[in-house]
Amino acid sequence: MTEKKGHFDEDLDLRISPKLSEDLNTLFKPQFSVPPELDRAIMDQANRRLVQRHWRHRIFRHISFWRVAAAAAVIIFAFSLNLTQKPGPTTTSSFIVEAQAVDIDENGRVDILDAFKLARHVEFSERTEKKWDINGDGLVDRNDVDLVALAAVRLDKNKGVL
Amino acid sequence: MMKKITAIILMSISVIVPVLAQQSEQDNESVQPKVRFAPLRIYLDSGNKSLAAYQFELKAAAGQIKIVGVEGGQHKAFKEAPYYDPAALANDRIIIAAFNTGRELPTGRTRIATIHLQIIGEAEPDYELKLTVAADADAKEIPAEITFEKGE
Repeated sequence: MTEKKGHFDEDLDLRISPKLSEDLNTLFKPQFSVPPELDRAIMDQANRRLVQRHWRHRIFRHISFWRVAAAAAVIIFAFSLNLTQKPGPTTTSSFIVEAQAVDIDENGRVDILDAFKLARHVEFSERTEKKWDINGDGLVDRNDVDLVALAAVRLDKNKGVL
Repeated sequence: MMKKITAIILMSISVIVPVLAQQSEQDNESVQPKVRFAPLRIYLDSGNKSLAAYQFELKAAAGQIKIVGVEGGQHKAFKEAPYYDPAALANDRIIIAAFNTGRELPTGRTRIATIHLQIIGEAEPDYELKLTVAADADAKEIPAEITFEKGE
């Protein structure tokens, strides 16, 4: 503490002697006189500039504050909506939709027997029909069988079976 | 000055409300109900007929469950995971089906699938199980009885 006081002496005497004051006045006294009108005009202009700058600063601060407030509110609102939440899994494959229409045994419903019958046709080289090419790849194969089977177990198609 | 105060109040509200909402959500989450996992084994009895294809539907009639996985059956003809809608996972209802075009098929009572469940809460769930269809190797419908056993 003592050392600190030594470096920053608050009781330092800032008064100058009248002799030094007189010498400084003589040294820096203007060599010409400034007309009071000019002096006043300079002061007026300076005042006007200061006032303008003050208002510009206030307006800018005001606008910035509202912008920041609005941006913060938007960000917080977006976070409160929990936009990162993802929807649950759904089966919206267009192939499944097509398979829904395939009723291989034509009994009015699509179930595992449609897939089973199609699989038998494919495996035992029985006759196949062009309409059984569910995925449209020009072949009636195991992929088409899988699509019919997936159509049979679809949840939304069979809603309320029980 | 008044506008400044209003803005500060609005900002404080917009900060505090979501924080409080999140906190209350966390509080709710901390009082979570008891959760356990259990398998449900599905059996099909086709008598003296060979079983080549089946389809059934399961749903919870009471209690809260979530289907978390599906496993194949006991006989090698149905060992592979059956067909089901992936949307059934994390749901309380599922339709399961499988077929086999081979000649080695099970007869009598056989386990056709195991459904792994997440059971939420203390209440023991009730299940509704319905056989949609069962068929033999010639793809002809056969009478069969479907049952389930709860596992631990």
